Order: sequence, then structure tokens, then C-alpha cells
Amino acid sequence: MKRLSLGAAFLFLFTLVPFSIFAADSYNLAIPLPLTGQQAKFGEMMKRSYQMAADEINAKDGINKKKLVLSFEDSGAKPETARSIVEKLIDVKKQPIIVGEYTSACAKAVAAVAEERKTPYLVIASADDAITRQNYKYVFRQNAVNAHYGDGVIDFFKQVVKPKTVAILYESSAFGTSGADAMVKDAERLGMKVLLKEKYESGSIDFRPILSKVKAAQPDVLYMVSYVMDASLLMKQIKELRIDVKLFTGGAAGFAIPEFLDNAKDAAEYVITATLWTPQMKYPGAKEYAEKYKAAYKDYPSYHGASAYSAMYVLKDTLERAKDFTPEKILGALKATNLKTAFGPIKFENKEGYQNQNFMDTLVIQIQKGVFETIWPQQHASKKYIYPIPTWRERR
Amino acid sequence: MTSVQIEVLLQTVISGIFLGGLYALLGIGMTLIMGVMKIINLAHGELMMVGMYIAYALFSFFHIDPYLSIFIAAPALFLLGVMLQKFLINPVLTVESILPENQVILTVGIGMVLSNLATIFFTSDYRSTPVEYATKAWYISDFWKGSPIELSISFAWSVSFFFAVLITALLWFFLAKTDMGKSIRATAQDTDAALLMGVNVKKMRIITFGLGAALVGAAGCLFIPIYYLYPDLGGQFTLIAFVITILGGLGSTVGAIVGGLILGLFESLTATYIGMGWAPIGRFVIFIAALIFIPGGIVSLLKKQRFG
Repeated sequence: MKRLSLGAAFLFLFTLVPFSIFAADSYNLAIPLPLTGQQAKFGEMMKRSYQMAADEINAKDGINKKKLVLSFEDSGAKPETARSIVEKLIDVKKQPIIVGEYTSACAKAVAAVAEERKTPYLVIASADDAITRQNYKYVFRQNAVNAHYGDGVIDFFKQVVKPKTVAILYESSAFGTSGADAMVKDAERLGMKVLLKEKYESGSIDFRPILSKVKAAQPDVLYMVSYVMDASLLMKQIKELRIDVKLFTGGAAGFAIPEFLDNAKDAAEYVITATLWTPQMKYPGAKEYAEKYKAAYKDYPSYHGASAYSAMYVLKDTLERAKDFTPEKILGALKATNLKTAFGPIKFENKEGYQNQNFMDTLVIQIQKGVFETIWPQQHASKKYIYPIPTWRERR
Repeated sequence: MTSVQIEVLLQTVISGIFLGGLYALLGIGMTLIMGVMKIINLAHGELMMVGMYIAYALFSFFHIDPYLSIFIAAPALFLLGVMLQKFLINPVLTVESILPENQVILTVGIGMVLSNLATIFFTSDYRSTPVEYATKAWYISDFWKGSPIELSISFAWSVSFFFAVLITALLWFFLAKTDMGKSIRATAQDTDAALLMGVNVKKMRIITFGLGAALVGAAGCLFIPIYYLYPDLGGQFTLIAFVITILGGLGSTVGAIVGGLILGLFESLTATYIGMGWAPIGRFVIFIAALIFIPGGIVSLLKKQRFG
């Protein structure tokens, strides 16, 4: 019994000590993010990237000569959990800035809490337009909004492909529908005629019926908004039916991740798609970060990781200018951010109805010889685009 | 009709028949169990998922072609089915309960356990077997240079369809010509009479459940080269098999074959001429229409023709 109470006393001491002794020479930051559930993969990638950046910062001089100590709180991509985590961080731990979360639903919940408690919140990878359109003063977003996601592709259409007609295939959930609607608007602006707009249920087995309709309609461009397995099946069946259009375009998501290449194989060749970031970006530190991540975890990170990684440098920059670890000082410093990071230049602006939104170039990538190559805008290009693309018959 | 329209129609019909052939194999397993056990096996899609994971594992670890893994997956599923029937479903048959059909509820539970086990062992990631011939196809213009229309027939889909037909034919031979097949049919027609004629009904039930599981396991091996795989995929295929079983007439193998083909064709034609988003709705329209207008299923229509 005595030993037990002694042990308990020690345990008690150990849990107390880090807070009381090291608090003075370290910044403690708890980050909410999904580590379980469907979005766990992305949460994991962000966690590694946050930690990687913090280790780099600490290996140099830290922030204001203090160490940055990270801890992570699992929200499981559930808004109500994310909400209570952040309430705890602000009310109990008095953390003066919140960084993190992934899904738009969670980010919205966290944004509301942060605004209410006048604590700055930096959004890393949540794309819903509404998050930075609510006249919130304390919510900042580093990644591009959904509405601007396709900018790069539209620009590429305008400058290079000059298509007159488009056919749109999309999966029937909110994600596919909003993507398809955005494309219809863009097509109007570009003067493209929408020949066909067909939805399908995600998980379908046979796309040949609608694909033969696409073939009969003969559009210049085929635009598809799909999740990854649908994307692979679509391209495989397109190859088999030998549907030739000027360009196959994916609306990000399923077309921009390595699994698409693994499953669609050679049918994926020459497909272009929008994305926010690639390891080939010519931003300072981008390549180093991507290679370091790959060396440690065997795969290249996607923009989610890059954004998380850069967020720690944004935080460092902000705290160094804020001089004070309080919400008000941090708010002012964050607002004045103008930093070049591995994720691109970051500056929070109020325009187009958004508040504290970072506007960035969105990219176009093309699959060339089984690898994602950045092709547009030209200043970021890792390879020249291949256009016009060969017909399926010529490819054999 | 212009040649383009003809091309679209023919390509749609080809797709529909291929899809229907696979659906038929899916439905036969369920209808067989339905006939003998008088219950709907709601773990049917999950059993197919197990078959697909076996094919996937064999492909990724030993590079065994998914089509060859039928010879491993089908016997494995047969054993699994036998076990399930012997140790789970048969005991429940004898238990007094409030619900008359608590075996059906049991199959739902079995399905949940199977899909959760798959999540534990294989995670919930999407899997597929990227075979070499995945996008290989035959083109009409390769055989007939001046063809006014271009049609393609997928190699993988053709092979899957061929195997589906072959397995169905073997099953028909088994049920029609062998003693055991006859005993199974006798059990399906009248359990008490079969019992009186000296058929070991309990054994027949076990074998039938195993056979149904083996058939759907084989269907899984035929699906994986043209589709993909994840632990929760079972539900949608259980539903398809259920619709086919109702459409074909409960317990009728011929009905399941015809029902599968009709459903496949119907889905393809809906996709082309109404919209692919409507395919799931079309499936239920068929389901409800079958319940209202031909409650005995297609097989009842066939019988009327013959004897009427």
C-alpha cells in the first residue's frame, strides 16, 4: 500500500512537472485533427508534417529561443468532438491560438468556437468556401477555397486547349454535384457548350452505357468529378471503348492521388487534373520537405501535409513578431503575415467576400509516363504539357 | 436510326448481357439457399466479399490470377458456408423464439461480423487486382475493316461471363443428374416428403448453404478483375441478389438466370436512355413491380406457358 501511494505521488509529480517547469521556456500547442475514422489517413499525414516542422524549428533556435512542444488531440473527424477539444484548449489550457483540423465540417465548428472566444484559428486544409465568408475576425485560412480550385485548369483551357464543347460526368453526392455545377459556370464563362451532364452513383460497376453516350456526343473535353475507384474504372473503360476526346480532365479528388495511378495503370496516361501543391513546386523548402517525408514514410505527401508543415513556420514567424503569447497580439501579427513557405507565399487578405483568406496559384498536373508532372501555370511546370494527346489506337 | 445511335444501343446491350450473366451467378447462390432453407441469406454479399479478399490475397502475395483462384476461393467458401450452417444457423432453427425467422436476423449478424473482420485484417482501404489484361478488348473494326460502327468487347468481362455460364451449367448438371442434386431439389420442394423418402434433410441443408456460399465466392473471383474491393461492399450485392431472387421466383435457378439477365439489361438501358443516376431507382421499380404483378416471379410465367 505504501509503495502504491509512493508510486502515485511520483506519477502525480511527473504529470505536473512538465507544465510547471518547462512551461516557461516552451510553447505548448495542442492540435486537433482526425487520427481515427475515415479521414485518419490525412490526419496521420498532417501529424507527421507538423511534428517534422516542429523538430526542425527546435533543432535550430526554437521560437524566441523557446522550444515548440506539440501534442495532438484526436477528433475522429466529428464536429462535436472537435468543438469540445477546442473549448477545452481555450478555456482550460488557455492556448492563445488554434491550428488544425481537416474536414470542412470540423473546421466550421472550430471556427465558431474560436470566434466566440476571440482566439485566432488557422485553417490548414478545409476547403468549404463558407469558412472564411462569415465575417469572422479570428479565422484565417491558408489553403485555397473550393471555388478557386479549378482556376488552373480553366486557365489551361483558355490558353492551350481552347475547347468548344465539354461533357461532364460526376458522382451523385454533394462533392460531385458541386464540382459539376462549378464546371458548368466556368464553361459558360469560357463560352464552352455543355453537351452532356450525367451523374452516376459512386460504386457503379459498369460505366459503358454513359461512356458510349459520351462517345456519340464527341465533346472536345471530358470532365469527370469522381472518387478514386470510380476514377480508375472510368479511365479503364474509356480506354477499352477507345473514346477519343482532345483532353481527359479530372476534377481533383480521385484523379490526383497515387492510388489512381496504381489502379488505372496505362489508362491514366495524359489525364490532367487540378491540385494545390506537388513535391515539384519551386517554393523554398518544398522539395526538401517532400524528400524528407518520403525518406521517413515511403510516400510523397499531398498538399495536406505541405500545408501542415508550413503552418508551423507561419506560427513561428507570427510568434516572433507578436512577442507576446496572447490572443490579441497573435491576431495582429497573424494578420500581417507575409511569408514564403514550402506551401507557397502566404498572406491573409480580405477580398471577393472572403476574410483572412490566403489566395494561391492552383495547379494543373498531367500524368506522363505514369508519373504526376506539374504542367501549369508555366512558372511551376516540371515538364511541358503534352497536348494534343494521341488517340487510343495510336497508343498501342 | 443513325449508325451512331445503333452503336450506342448495341454497346449498351452487350454491357447489359455481360453484367446480367454475373448478376445471375450472384442470384443463383441466394435462390438455392432460399429454396432449401426458406430463408433469405442476407450475408450473401459479405460472403462474396470474403471470396474477393481471398482472390486479392492470392494475387498480391502469390501472383495467382484471380480467375485461377476460383479453384481455391470456391472450396474455401464452401467450407465456410458449411461451418456457418452447422454451428450457427442449424442450432438457431431449433430454438423457440418470438420471431419466426430469426435465422434471417442471424445472417445479418454474420454479414456484419464478416465485414468487420475484413476491416481488421485488410483495413478499409480500397483494393484491386491490377491484372495485365484489365483494359484489353476486341474491336469489331479489327475483324471487319469497313465496319460502319465500332463495338468493343472487353476481354476480362468476356472471361468472367464465360466462367459464369460454365459454373451455371455445371450447377444445372449437378442438380439435375446427380443423386445429391436430386435430394437437394426434393428438400426444396417438400421437406417433409423428402424426409419420409429417406433424404438426410439436415445434411442437405448444410451442403446447400455451402454450395450457395461457394457459388457467390466464385462470383467474387469473377468480379474482382473488373471491379474493386473494400470491406463494406457486401451490402450492395446482397441487395442485387435479393432483387434477382424475388424477380426470378423464390428458389428457382432458371428464374435467377433469367432474372439476372433482365436486371443487367434493364440497368444498362436505363443508364443509357434515362440516366445512370437512375439505375438504383430502376432496380427498386423492378423489385416492386415483380412483387405486385408477378408475385411468383418469372418462373411462374414460364410454368403457365408450359401447362396453360
